[in-house]
Amino acid sequence: MKKGYLFILFVLALLIFSSMMMVAQGQTFNNVTITAFCDAGHNALPFEWYADAFAKAGIKVNVVTAPFGNVYEKLKSEFIASTGAYDVIVLFPMYLGEFAGMGYLKPLDEYAKKYDPRLDDVATGFLKLYDYYGGKLYTLPYDGDVLSLYFRKDLFNDETEKSNFKKMYNKELASPETWDEVLDVAKFFTRKSGETLAGKVLDSDFYGFAFLAQRGGFAFAWWLAEFASRGGKYFDKDMNPMINTEEGVIALQRLVDILPYCPPDVLSYGYEELKDALILGRTAMCLQWPCNWKKGNDPAQSKIVGNVGITHVPGVMKDGKLVYRAPMPCGRVLAVAKDSKYPEAAYYVAKLLSDDFSLADVSSPKTGLDPFRKSHFNNPAAFSEFAPEKEAKEYLAAIANNLTYGFPDLSLPGSAQYIDVLEVNLGKAYTKELSPKEALDATAKEWNSITDSLGKANQIKIYNELLKGWKEVGLID
Amino acid sequence: MKEITTNFLIGRNRFAKTITLPSVIILVITVIGPLGFLLYASFFDWSLTIPAPPRFAWFYNFGLVFKDARFWNAFKNTSVLMIAGIITQSILGLIIAFLLNRKFRFKKLAITILALPIMVTPVVLGFNWRIIFHEHFGPLNYIIRLLGGAGSSWIADPKLALFSIFLVDTWQWTPFVTLILLAGLQSIPRQVYEASDVDGATGWQTFWRVTLPLLRPMFVLVILFRTIWIFKIFDPVYILTGGGPGITTETLSLYTYISWVKYWKVGYTSALALVQLIIMNIIAMIFVRKVMQRRRA
Repeated sequence: MKKGYLFILFVLALLIFSSMMMVAQGQTFNNVTITAFCDAGHNALPFEWYADAFAKAGIKVNVVTAPFGNVYEKLKSEFIASTGAYDVIVLFPMYLGEFAGMGYLKPLDEYAKKYDPRLDDVATGFLKLYDYYGGKLYTLPYDGDVLSLYFRKDLFNDETEKSNFKKMYNKELASPETWDEVLDVAKFFTRKSGETLAGKVLDSDFYGFAFLAQRGGFAFAWWLAEFASRGGKYFDKDMNPMINTEEGVIALQRLVDILPYCPPDVLSYGYEELKDALILGRTAMCLQWPCNWKKGNDPAQSKIVGNVGITHVPGVMKDGKLVYRAPMPCGRVLAVAKDSKYPEAAYYVAKLLSDDFSLADVSSPKTGLDPFRKSHFNNPAAFSEFAPEKEAKEYLAAIANNLTYGFPDLSLPGSAQYIDVLEVNLGKAYTKELSPKEALDATAKEWNSITDSLGKANQIKIYNELLKGWKEVGLID
Repeated sequence: MKEITTNFLIGRNRFAKTITLPSVIILVITVIGPLGFLLYASFFDWSLTIPAPPRFAWFYNFGLVFKDARFWNAFKNTSVLMIAGIITQSILGLIIAFLLNRKFRFKKLAITILALPIMVTPVVLGFNWRIIFHEHFGPLNYIIRLLGGAGSSWIADPKLALFSIFLVDTWQWTPFVTLILLAGLQSIPRQVYEASDVDGATGWQTFWRVTLPLLRPMFVLVILFRTIWIFKIFDPVYILTGGGPGITTETLSLYTYISWVKYWKVGYTSALALVQLIIMNIIAMIFVRKVMQRRRA
């Protein structure tokens, strides 16, 4: 009996001692090991960079990655099989509706009370669109994405080019404001090898524009840019597709018309290829994610350092007024899997990445992570490591402006399917297998089938909730 | 001990049954089980995108497959790859096999080098060819430009993309065809050629009337294997083009994969997979039957 008491006392003393040791070492958790999932490449780097900080909190993080285009299937497979393979997950907000709706993710409100992720610092659009589902907090932002127009400042400021452009179009050469102007400027800058560009003889062909057309890489957003600017929407309130309206057809025809002024392999362009087309000096303009500016100003990656211009996405003139909408494709958020054995530790890692370390990550040219907090937008000095603060200010202002006029991804159950079907048919229009109208009509027909197969009533309900959220943050009228 | 064995195993050859039982169990678990599930699932309207239970739908999914334009597009692409691949690889394989069936220095080295493409992992192969086909940095366009050509967008041009996949497949699998045909050539007895010489046959007659008929079993083997493999072609397509531009290079396997892991249409994909299995079996049966008839004749 006495021995029993002594044993209990010993165990208690051991527990108290280890707790004191944890506190002394600043550990929040008791040496737990969790697994993180992220799309492969530069955006998984922060998990490695902060391994020591995680360890200090008593957490060891193993990172598993999958290619960018396979994130959805990889995560969904694990969720369906309830493997509990991942604790903290980096996912694209487009899948939030499906993953949260299917109960694969853990609501984070309880943890957010314990470890404050400073959500009031997150840009309003991102917070509402990326992090909440059904009124509950499910994710913390990790990467803020919005498209912007990038252009070569050296070419646009070249006196000879300016004068030639004026002769040809009877207007000043400037970054295009509208899609009509994009076509003119793209045509103007497209040159053959041996011709002269800004006083230099070209040793290879040069192109005016480039866009992302590779299926599975958010290619639909490049079509969405003009479609949304013209007032287009995915569906009406009853889930009847609105993509095959006049707005959609004009936007798609535009991309078909611009193809001759793009690199010939543009239809295979994903993120990397599009980025390289501009920063390795093969195109004059492109529509891209914010990290293009960071990469373009990094001498280790770019041939056009100091010449990366950024402005709002092109728009259309409506009643004498310029209207533009910047698609917000991709983006990344951190979530905690419902099957996680250590959800609190997983949340804690998510919180550190979303808040504590985020400024360093979004301002590093080594990652593709982009600003999403007010404190990021208000801190141009953080970017001055590789670009003058004045230019960093212009960059942040341009992104913030595009965000103000952002247009969200479709975040419904079945989004992956809706978007894949759309991208397949956009591809058919680019390859001239179908006319833009035929391609979008075919998409609308397939969208109706998808909606029916997923349960129209439920889809209508979820879509109308989405519309409400978009309206609240001013993203749609 | 004897009693236990007798109760457990009934039949004449108990030992044979005992040692085959584990294989039968494994076969049931790994082949018959999944096939049974496929058949079962194909009769349900079943999606994993929404939390709704599967609904029995009779032959609805099979009807959808045959009405699906994307299925027919994938079928067409797969058939083009199959027909073009088998014809080209057989002709090339035969020519190279003839060249290798002579005595020359470093013959073994040549055969080893020839066999290398077969050993390359499909993913590595796909990425290597992606680099080779690259519009700006790829060695293929570099060589074409050195020779005065313009270079092409091998995997981005809808007119060239399927041809590029055919090129990769031919590069990888012609050596396999060559090795099989070479083995066939080497197994033809010298006396047959001597007898043909004595009869005064020309080189062409010997080739047409002696060599080719004797190589028929090898051709049957090669064509059967290549038909099955090309029907299942996935890796190079997935890595090189992802089925694009548009769906110009989407094959049956790739479409099945997308239908499952992107659309999560369990019922439809099961029906899609079963239809392919049936088509493949019909092709194989017709083929084997034709060969057997010829043999009997």
